[in-house]
Amino acid sequence: MASMDVPADMPKKQAAETAARAAAPPRLTWMTLALMTTASVASLRAAPTMAVYGLACVFLYLVPAIVFLLPTALVSAELASGWSGGVYKWVSEGLSKPLGFLAVWCQFAMTIFYYPSLLAFVASTISYIINPALASNGLYTAIVIMVLYWTGVWVSSQGTKALAGLSSWGLVIGTLVPGTLLVVLGMIFLAQGNPSAAPMTASHLLPEWTGLASLVLIVNNFLSYSGMEMNAVHVSSLKNPAKEYPKSMFLAMGLVLLIFILPALAISWVVPSGQLSLTAGVMQAFDAFFAYFHIGWMTPIAAVMLISASLAGMLTWLAGPSKGLLEISRQEGYLPPYLQQLNKHGIQQNILVTQGIVTTLIALMYAFIPGVSSVYWIFSTITTQVYLIVYLLMFVAAIRLRKNQPDHPRGYRVPALTLVCVVGWLASAAALVIGFVPPSQFGSSSTGAYIAIVGGGLLLLGFLIPWLFLKLRKPSWRTTGGESG
Amino acid sequence: MSPTRFASEHRWLYIGAIVLLVALAVIGLIRYERVRTTNEAHNKANELSGELIAAGFPAPNTDNLVRALGDDGGLACSDPTSALRSALWKINMSNGAAGPGIRPVIADKRVVEAGALVLKVYCPDKLHDLQDKIDDLKTDTTVRQ
Repeated sequence: MASMDVPADMPKKQAAETAARAAAPPRLTWMTLALMTTASVASLRAAPTMAVYGLACVFLYLVPAIVFLLPTALVSAELASGWSGGVYKWVSEGLSKPLGFLAVWCQFAMTIFYYPSLLAFVASTISYIINPALASNGLYTAIVIMVLYWTGVWVSSQGTKALAGLSSWGLVIGTLVPGTLLVVLGMIFLAQGNPSAAPMTASHLLPEWTGLASLVLIVNNFLSYSGMEMNAVHVSSLKNPAKEYPKSMFLAMGLVLLIFILPALAISWVVPSGQLSLTAGVMQAFDAFFAYFHIGWMTPIAAVMLISASLAGMLTWLAGPSKGLLEISRQEGYLPPYLQQLNKHGIQQNILVTQGIVTTLIALMYAFIPGVSSVYWIFSTITTQVYLIVYLLMFVAAIRLRKNQPDHPRGYRVPALTLVCVVGWLASAAALVIGFVPPSQFGSSSTGAYIAIVGGGLLLLGFLIPWLFLKLRKPSWRTTGGESG
Repeated sequence: MSPTRFASEHRWLYIGAIVLLVALAVIGLIRYERVRTTNEAHNKANELSGELIAAGFPAPNTDNLVRALGDDGGLACSDPTSALRSALWKINMSNGAAGPGIRPVIADKRVVEAGALVLKVYCPDKLHDLQDKIDDLKTDTTVRQ
């Protein structure tokens, strides 16, 4: 938080307290930031889905890691080690302030549709523990989504330290511990002389190639790593951002790769793909895994762990993009003063509450209107399309910053930055194009209709709404020093 | 993780979260029911194993099928086609992301169709609705067998 200015309608005493807190951001260690970054991106939720592909899941994670994860992590490490503030600052400095707003808006807006599906997954996992029949109950699902979301907003409003602690521990308890258990049990399974359920030969390293479907699978997997740059908004909370942020990013990169690949492989050793496919849910897959070892009672424990990891991830997403949106809006007046107000912990509470109201409405529709829930998957395509705009802008901004501000101090410089950015940009563009290919869920409906729906959603959420904010902004809405874009 | 230590100003948050998670774990353990390994469970596991082999999958461990599915199919047969379960089923038919990068893909035909086999064996009365949903999907071959 660079400035101590606050909206004019805030009482003076409160404004002074808020400014003092804002001027002294809470300290985070690079390790905590690495865990937060990992919690934002990785969990065991995807492991059963990817275990179906057997050994090919290594390919499906490694190729995207080379063309997308590596560029994203390296470039954001360089940018965050030179400029505090995250993606809005990088794009503002490298391209323009309106594009900086567009970048952080896209990062923020896509989360609105993410929370209901994430929390619906959490609700179904809780129902597995309490009473599986509840998973089909709209009222139960709505209540769980509301309670968890608003609790998350409240926790986030308690300050960065609170959510940093909970999200880090959530990752440890919810992902690292059970992930290690899965891998150890998988190795015991092999050490006992059992053949792997999925063939582990060289010919199974690559997924089946059948043209477009395989291309969709491979390219869409690039998005597995989206979010690596998101926590850079907290870089000013590090003691020595220039040195510590790159370290944090490299640790997160390693953890994310391990969390994605090893548990999926372990499940594929033990549970045959035919049996995994029978399991129309994540918990059933864990149930089949633990059943082999006669420790079926571990499944509810694993469910609790998955819940804690999912909520940890949600906390990081609640805090990150909204903070970036606040910072550029305070500098440039892109949001009304009401949305720029901070609470006593220096947190953008009104943005979170407004976002919460929209999320609540969407979640209620998801829970109670079958027509909405049955097509909810399409929002995940639209929101990932919107998110890709962030990466397209970020890679161009990084090249421009290296060219225009070569002497700006950076704690870390990416070797062959232009090449890395071009690879990352092309990967993002490819994912954007592939996003218009209808997936399984769209059935045999018209491809044109799908392109129109996804394209319309992208234009509305990714361009029209931020354009309206830019168009309607007022100079008086600026609450900190900054040059007009 | 010094800023996250328990003796911090936010210790009540940590304590609240721990209490909640431990309570859920205890409820889960109490409610956990060991699957009964009856003759019927073995018969159904053998039948399912045959169906899977006929569908081109490697032979599964039938003891494991017994332990995971019992004689009633367990969770797989618990209202599989309700709106909310179908919604999650469709959302989970996705890439390898675990965060906001989750995005639908073109799923593998045999893997999707195998999903109906458990219903065929354990709860055939629920198969029809699920089969209709599966038939509506566009699938291809993406998993190397």
